Amino acid sequence: MTETNTNHTFNGISRRAFLAMTGGALALASFPALALSDAWRRVDEINAVVGDADPIAQGVNIELPLVTENGANVPLKVGIGRPMAEGEHVTAIHIYAPRNPFPEIATFRFVDGFDVPEIETRIRLNESQTVFVVAELNSGAVLMGERDVRVTVSGCLTQADTYAADSLFETRVRVAESVANGTPLEVLTLINHPQETGLREDAQGNPVPKRLIERLEARYNGEVAFVAEFNRSISSNPYLRFFITPEESGALDLVWTEDTGASAQFNADITVG
Amino acid sequence: MITRRKILKSLGATALAVPALSMPLVARAQGAAGRVVVVGGGFGGATAAKYIKRRNPDIAVTLVEANSRFYTCPFSNLYLGGLRDFESIGHSYDELTGDYGVELVTGWAQDVDGDAHTLTLASGDVLEYDKLVLSPGIDIRWGAIEGYDEAAAELVPHAWKAGPQTRLLREQLEAMEDGGTFILSAPDNPFRCPPGPYERVSLIANYFKTNKPNSKIIILDAKDNFSKQGLFQAGWEALYGDMIEWVSLSNDGRVVRVDAEAREVETEFGVIHKADVLNVVPPQKAGAIADAAGVTNEGGWAPVDPVTFESRLVPDIHVIGDASVAAPMPKSGFSANAQGKVAAAAIVAAFAGEEPSEPSWANTCYSLIGPEYGISVANVYKVVDGEVVVADGGGVSPADADAEFRRREAVYAEGWYDAIANDTWGTVA
Repeated sequence: MTETNTNHTFNGISRRAFLAMTGGALALASFPALALSDAWRRVDEINAVVGDADPIAQGVNIELPLVTENGANVPLKVGIGRPMAEGEHVTAIHIYAPRNPFPEIATFRFVDGFDVPEIETRIRLNESQTVFVVAELNSGAVLMGERDVRVTVSGCLTQADTYAADSLFETRVRVAESVANGTPLEVLTLINHPQETGLREDAQGNPVPKRLIERLEARYNGEVAFVAEFNRSISSNPYLRFFITPEESGALDLVWTEDTGASAQFNADITVG
Repeated sequence: MITRRKILKSLGATALAVPALSMPLVARAQGAAGRVVVVGGGFGGATAAKYIKRRNPDIAVTLVEANSRFYTCPFSNLYLGGLRDFESIGHSYDELTGDYGVELVTGWAQDVDGDAHTLTLASGDVLEYDKLVLSPGIDIRWGAIEGYDEAAAELVPHAWKAGPQTRLLREQLEAMEDGGTFILSAPDNPFRCPPGPYERVSLIANYFKTNKPNSKIIILDAKDNFSKQGLFQAGWEALYGDMIEWVSLSNDGRVVRVDAEAREVETEFGVIHKADVLNVVPPQKAGAIADAAGVTNEGGWAPVDPVTFESRLVPDIHVIGDASVAAPMPKSGFSANAQGKVAAAAIVAAFAGEEPSEPSWANTCYSLIGPEYGISVANVYKVVDGEVVVADGGGVSPADADAEFRRREAVYAEGWYDAIANDTWGTVA
């Protein structure tokens, strides 16, 4: 287990934004009126998502190691723990590492009715930095959390390529065959893939072309239930744990798509009891 | 024999008089140049105790250790592989008490009151300190893997603290029939002795090769790469053919459940592996006294100022060795020994009213792949902007070295062990 800190971001709330969100109904907010650090404002990619919204530093739970000895493979868990208003739900979670060559790590899109805004994956961190998580709600509100991670290289570690070329696109999935109605169904996935950034040279000094798994789509009875959009900073052998909440028995289809257009699939029948 | 320094006060709960923090040091020290209590007599603690006394014999040093003899994790893999007897990795405190005047208290450190500067033992005795050095090593995160608790460890040893657990694993290996399967579950970083699991399977393979040649070894790993990986894998192939199979994290190597009765493990994606001998090296955290002292973070380890190894959370408590956050220094006996010297120098300087000097450290991890096949990784470390970083120099054994080079590194490994055991406990090989 990696050394982990869970960040329950309650004390970073912008009071004005919080009151705006709740229509003042919780005017006696027990959350101190502290602002989120301004660091995110210097990241264009985050600004593009936040737009004119005033980010609320509440409810974004981030689990990342305090110190990691392998920046190529850093476990990350994100969950949105903020109580939602009637009809309110999370539409997307975005992950950013501003000091990576490309700050966008991944976006996860949730569909109303299926959504459980919680994911676990593994990411690349080029150096010590603050990782930002931005959650968009269907109401237009934006939640944000941040976590500092120190990246160091252990003197006792040496790196090696870890993906197996002979089993490219091989997938592993763990999902229950049956689930109680209304209970989130956990889907654990991994696909064998180098997730080449295009920024790396091989042993002979030649650039290794970019080659990425860009998307994992989960469909339930033909309907899109969850989408993951992966960028360069998802670790090789993209790993993802997510949840959907099926309301009737049916077919779960998972489709991974590479930037070349190549794809891999997994299918399972789920019984909802 | 109980001396004045050994037990400064017996705890009569309400009667315990705690000196005020503002009292001058000289009054609290009762004539000595300062009072240090060290918890843990391993590579870190024994070294710290010895080097404080070497630098200033007037400082009163008490070492609290639960066992009368210390057995090292380094070279315990040689015992598991049948290459050493158990007593050869045991060390006494005779040099510390006899030559250096360290007071030895055999007992279990239970609690620390950082404000009152007191350490309470399980016996109820209370020791006062001006400076406390905690070198408690690791504790197991029981339950971090479903089904792996203290009872399970009696059937399926971790053997990651040298002692009865190590002997239990050796007994099981000896009792295993030829053609059996040995499975080792290796944890994610950070953990004690990063190359340790891989040296362990190497020396068990050496034992199997001569005694149980039809047996099989599987490492189920929660990581996608490990210390000296290329050298280990080349050595395994050269010495043991295909006896050792390594299953990486991305190949579903992470164990999530242990059935100790059945000697079975289940991996993340649901594969069941059945073993004849099962060794779970579980996730770890700092030794319990670090938690009790309030010096650990949410990750379970103790963040320290690397210049002094003083806790970043509680003043006058230094935490060294595996329990501390010193990355990128590995959690190794060599690191603990080097950190013990830095903490000792900082404590001596503090009692003298001097600033601590800027430290640097070296660490070498030797590993044996076979009795005559050694490899190593060496690094130098320094402090930059309040954090430990890797300095220039160091490296790993060459990938293309010949058999004579590997044989010499195996000899150097023995030399390293003898030297550090002598430096730490005064053991003469």
